[in-house]
Amino acid sequence: MVDAASNKPARAAAEFAPVRQTAAAPSAASPYRLATGGIVDRSAPLLFSFDGRNYGGLRGDTLASALLANGVRLVGRSFKYHRPRGILAAGSEEPNALVELREGARREPNTRATVAELYEGLAAVSQNRWPSLWFDCMAVNSLFSPIIGAGFYYKTFMWPASFWEKLYEPMIRRAAGLGRAAGMPDPDTYEKAFAHCDVLVIGSGPAGLMAALAAGRAGARVILCDEDFEFGGRLLAECRDIDGRPCAQWAGSLLAELASLPEVRMLKRTTVFGAYDHGVYAAIERVADHLATPSPHMPRQRVWNIVAKRTVLAAGAIERPLVFGNNDRPGVMLGGAVRAYLNRFAVKPGTRAVVFANNDDAVATLLDLAAAGISVQACVDPRGADAGVVRAAAQRIGTRFVNGAVVRARGGHRLRAVDVSAVAEPWHKLTFPCDLLAMSGGWSPSVHLSSHLGGRPQWSDALAAFVPGPLPRGMSVAGAAAGEFGLAACLAGGAKAGAEAAGDCGFAAKPVAMPGIGPEPIGIAALWRVRAKRGKAFVDFQNDVTVSDIELAEREGFRAVEHLKRYTTLGMATDQGKTANVNGLAIMAELTEKTIPATGATRFRPPYTPVAIGALAGHHRRKDFKPTRLTPGHAWAQEQGAVFMETGLWLRAQYFPQPGDNSWLDACNREVTATRNAVGVCDVSTLGKIDLQGTDAGLFLDRLYANAMSSLPVGRARYGLMLREDGFVLDDGTVSRLAEDHFFVTTTTANAARVMQHMDFCHQVLWPDLDVQFVSVSDQWAQYSLAGPKAREVLQKLVDGQHDISNTAFPYMAAGEVTVGGGVPARLFRISFSGELAYEISVPARFGDAVIRAVVAAGAPLGIRPYGLEALSVMRIEKGHVGGAEINGQTTARDLGLERMVSSKKDFIGRVMAGRPALLAPDRPAFVGFKSVGDGAIGAGAHFLPVGAEPSARNDEGHVTSVAYSPTLGHLVGLGLLKGGSKRLGEKMRAYDPLRGRDTLIEVCSPVFYDPEGARLRA
Amino acid sequence: MLLIPCPYCGPRPEIEFRYAGQAHVARAADPSALSDAEWAQFLYLRDNPRGRHAERWRHTNGCGRFFNCIRDTLTDKIAATYRIGETPPDLAAGAEARR
Amino acid sequence: MPDQALRQRAPLEALARPGRFGATSAAAGVMLSEIRDRGLASVAARKNQRAALLAAAKSAFGCGLPTRPRRAFGRDGLSFVWAGPDQWVAMLDHGPVGGIEPRLAASLKGLASVVDQSDGRAVVRIGGARARAALAKGMPIDLHERAFTPGDAALTFFSHINVHIWQVDETPTYEIAVPRSFVGSFWHWLTEASAEFGYEATGSNSSA
Repeated sequence: MVDAASNKPARAAAEFAPVRQTAAAPSAASPYRLATGGIVDRSAPLLFSFDGRNYGGLRGDTLASALLANGVRLVGRSFKYHRPRGILAAGSEEPNALVELREGARREPNTRATVAELYEGLAAVSQNRWPSLWFDCMAVNSLFSPIIGAGFYYKTFMWPASFWEKLYEPMIRRAAGLGRAAGMPDPDTYEKAFAHCDVLVIGSGPAGLMAALAAGRAGARVILCDEDFEFGGRLLAECRDIDGRPCAQWAGSLLAELASLPEVRMLKRTTVFGAYDHGVYAAIERVADHLATPSPHMPRQRVWNIVAKRTVLAAGAIERPLVFGNNDRPGVMLGGAVRAYLNRFAVKPGTRAVVFANNDDAVATLLDLAAAGISVQACVDPRGADAGVVRAAAQRIGTRFVNGAVVRARGGHRLRAVDVSAVAEPWHKLTFPCDLLAMSGGWSPSVHLSSHLGGRPQWSDALAAFVPGPLPRGMSVAGAAAGEFGLAACLAGGAKAGAEAAGDCGFAAKPVAMPGIGPEPIGIAALWRVRAKRGKAFVDFQNDVTVSDIELAEREGFRAVEHLKRYTTLGMATDQGKTANVNGLAIMAELTEKTIPATGATRFRPPYTPVAIGALAGHHRRKDFKPTRLTPGHAWAQEQGAVFMETGLWLRAQYFPQPGDNSWLDACNREVTATRNAVGVCDVSTLGKIDLQGTDAGLFLDRLYANAMSSLPVGRARYGLMLREDGFVLDDGTVSRLAEDHFFVTTTTANAARVMQHMDFCHQVLWPDLDVQFVSVSDQWAQYSLAGPKAREVLQKLVDGQHDISNTAFPYMAAGEVTVGGGVPARLFRISFSGELAYEISVPARFGDAVIRAVVAAGAPLGIRPYGLEALSVMRIEKGHVGGAEINGQTTARDLGLERMVSSKKDFIGRVMAGRPALLAPDRPAFVGFKSVGDGAIGAGAHFLPVGAEPSARNDEGHVTSVAYSPTLGHLVGLGLLKGGSKRLGEKMRAYDPLRGRDTLIEVCSPVFYDPEGARLRA
Repeated sequence: MLLIPCPYCGPRPEIEFRYAGQAHVARAADPSALSDAEWAQFLYLRDNPRGRHAERWRHTNGCGRFFNCIRDTLTDKIAATYRIGETPPDLAAGAEARR
Repeated sequence: MPDQALRQRAPLEALARPGRFGATSAAAGVMLSEIRDRGLASVAARKNQRAALLAAAKSAFGCGLPTRPRRAFGRDGLSFVWAGPDQWVAMLDHGPVGGIEPRLAASLKGLASVVDQSDGRAVVRIGGARARAALAKGMPIDLHERAFTPGDAALTFFSHINVHIWQVDETPTYEIAVPRSFVGSFWHWLTEASAEFGYEATGSNSSA
């Protein structure tokens, strides 16, 4: 009854004649099913099982109504005391009837039987009981209730501390708990979707329907959501006439009109579970939960992100239980739920009933019970003179009216009788045998979504309920959710809210004609607990919180509403106290002799009802967690058997294994050796690439880079270093000048997006007056690095004959446009990361696949090998180039030995701050190389310690950043950041790695291990 | 989940944007002339008001533009967004223009 | 270079298999194809040259450059989509490789920076009765006919991937430009989103 707007109907004396004329012969298959009435489909019988037993139900049933139809009352065990529990409610607020639904990988724990839509073959089992639901050994907990009351484990399991994890927690988890997760990968799919509308209507009860109709007729784009599998809310559950027709029928004609409006979108099985800023709402649509398995291509659930200009909250109200002794016995049910089972599902929830209510809702309950042929033993009402309409209704159906209260329910697995104390004769206890108690403590508006953004609900004494406080912008509340507890008020309130919402979106709404409704009494006098209760009186059924627990919390000083919640667990768990919060708060107010508003109000957070994490993740799980970027040469690399690794979003070839390799190292060594001795090719398409033009392009680059770029001649490339404003290195890369006002910039793969953002910031925010335009061309160009003494020979076979790429014509750091393969435009850069004679060649991405194949074909006679990231990394360490491990956000150009690149002739980002005294301190860790002197392994992250010094933070002198086995030199080569840096060449140190249990002697040396003169790359 | 009105693309969900710090923090024309205290102010010190705050945002998954945004840090209400280089609108006059 | 010509590969060549996929209970709700013969280029106005650029484009190509998120059509299969303030993506139907940049640069010299992006983006065409519903599973913008009409364009995302979308006709048909390296994930997610409605993929589609 939740998202479905509920009104709080009651009858006037004029309507007292029972509406249902045909009473109540139970059908043979389901002994408690009424022969007629309801909106279940008697022509569609369904078979289902509960705890291994087969039962029959009907299409249109919930699991709860089908169980009741079969006379099953005991459906679960309570959380802490393992008390037998039945069905309390008929909607998503149900605290008791939690079951494990489905089997195997689809098993879903803690599913409310009251919202589980019945389907053929549904299998459910009860939970939190052993060995069986009927005989549960853990029910012995009930005997220990004096010591396991509120806060018991805070007090009991204090020591020894080591016992908590190993003993106490597993024990508690086993004893107190809910259902079991499937423990297997979920075979179903989930998805997310965006929706936009003028008016979002939440709930399709009388208020929601009218709101949707008013806004829809005006032409607004409307989304109508209801968590139920049928639209109509309480109109489906009540026996009322609207315009002379049964209310469910009347709702049907409204729904037909709504369905015919093209701009009205109706989402059933859809719970709006969160309200967010600026009119954004989240909803969960249970697309296939009513099917045994989703149809092919159908998700199980879909999370909607709804952007609404206006919202009408018509979520109805939730009925409150009354608090008396043993009020949790199976057979004690909310009055509105009793009516829902009778009127919507055509199910008798019992055979002999007692009605206990503090409000005029009892009238409808009495009449509906009588109409269904259920004998009503007594009607108990704590109100005296105010209960006139209830007294009259009882009289009319021949039921005894008692001005008093139920003090105790009797029975174990099922209700057998209730003890009643009458106001007139409190010493004289009355006992009424019954198997159904229909109770009502009044209705609490479903204000949840109104308070998700922080608005505190406000107390209304007249209604004995919280009503919405300050509302989120764009939201209005209508119907029972707003405290409008009469059907006529719900219809009128909904129509008004819908018309206003449409009006705010620019759609003029005509007034909707109000249907005829009889008078309806809605009187109430608060009754928060029966003081003469005997036995446990539950406030929060799901968490087993009793009146005594609240009393204990009060005595121990946990009086503030948030303390009360956390100390007693009142209002926690899957139902978040939907039936419990107001009663708990009111009882605390009584105990502290304060008013309810002075005691507090519970604010709510999303989600309104539980939402599976899988649904929130949607499509994006596992490999699809994030997008994958592939280079144009990917398919080729795959054909070569490359092992790929993730670098950011990219997949890059790590190495190319061959049969007979013992490990990746064999492949890596082979690739390095081939490149150093002959030629290798590596896909470097993942580099960030930026095309930069404009008359101020050079000036802009001068300000961005630590070194000068405006002086770069056309046709040349330059290594560039970019600093952050605080003086630390941001990224390195290359800049090539293609024309006077045209540059081509590369960034590292890892920092491509960051550098682009930095450049955008500098241009858009700092220097908008510069004439410079730049755009990412990372995806436009496939780029390959050809490295090794035979690189030119390979290239000469590819590049069209008219281009001279000899060492003289195209020397080290040359850059220019060429064509390959007979006219395909390409760009050639003579830059080297490996230390060899090397080129990077770019071609339009559509040719990327063909060009890598052509390169390998051309290089085959020369011994070309593709190489991956491992070999790339080994060669850059051998050559002493800094990489991501050294440009780690904490190093300056000076730390990295790159101070010669830093221009002193111009201003640039980071110049001033790089000169801070602390960044010039001589003992800052600076870039060095090292060789292994001992024979142990060394990994990145090992700390440099002086030989003989105790391993302590005080003696720490830096750390290893990169290390690799050099097949070229035949030993380990490493790079690191060491205090004093290059002043310490030749010193012996320890590389100490306590995490991996390593401790090896090393010798500090120059970071350039290979070809320090740079002769090879200029060859 | 805010809806942020990009001055170029219109209202879009928060996930398209990236926060880019306090707005109207000017970089000195001659950075070497700043004192240490001014550098500290420029680099590290930011306002943290309870209420309206002028911020920079970037429409990262959209037009890529940086822009300014007056957001109430208490209510997340966005009073205005405006382009880089424009002066903040006069909000005292009740001009909650773009939301 | 050996005699063999270098073969071009379209971004979706290996992925967009022609055929009918997903639910088959009704007519395909979504039609998908890749446009493989369109030239694309980034066009950005030089500083203080916007007015001159707009005028030059008008006379050279027969259309104004849109100053809000729209697409404008010029002569001879040329069109311009807004891509941010003072930025556009120019498109040339049946554009030969490398053909678009020189064509634009000649007319816009000194007024705009032009960069060929023909290989940097895949252009996917999506149409059909359920195209909007499929796109709503990944795209946050409102594509309802009251909010987005033929000619409208937007820079946004689809399932975490930056895209540029514009509407072609009222069917509705849209075209979406996706960075080439992302196109595998994009296609995977778009087809997953479309599967519920049934989709028909035709390998390639002519750009006009």
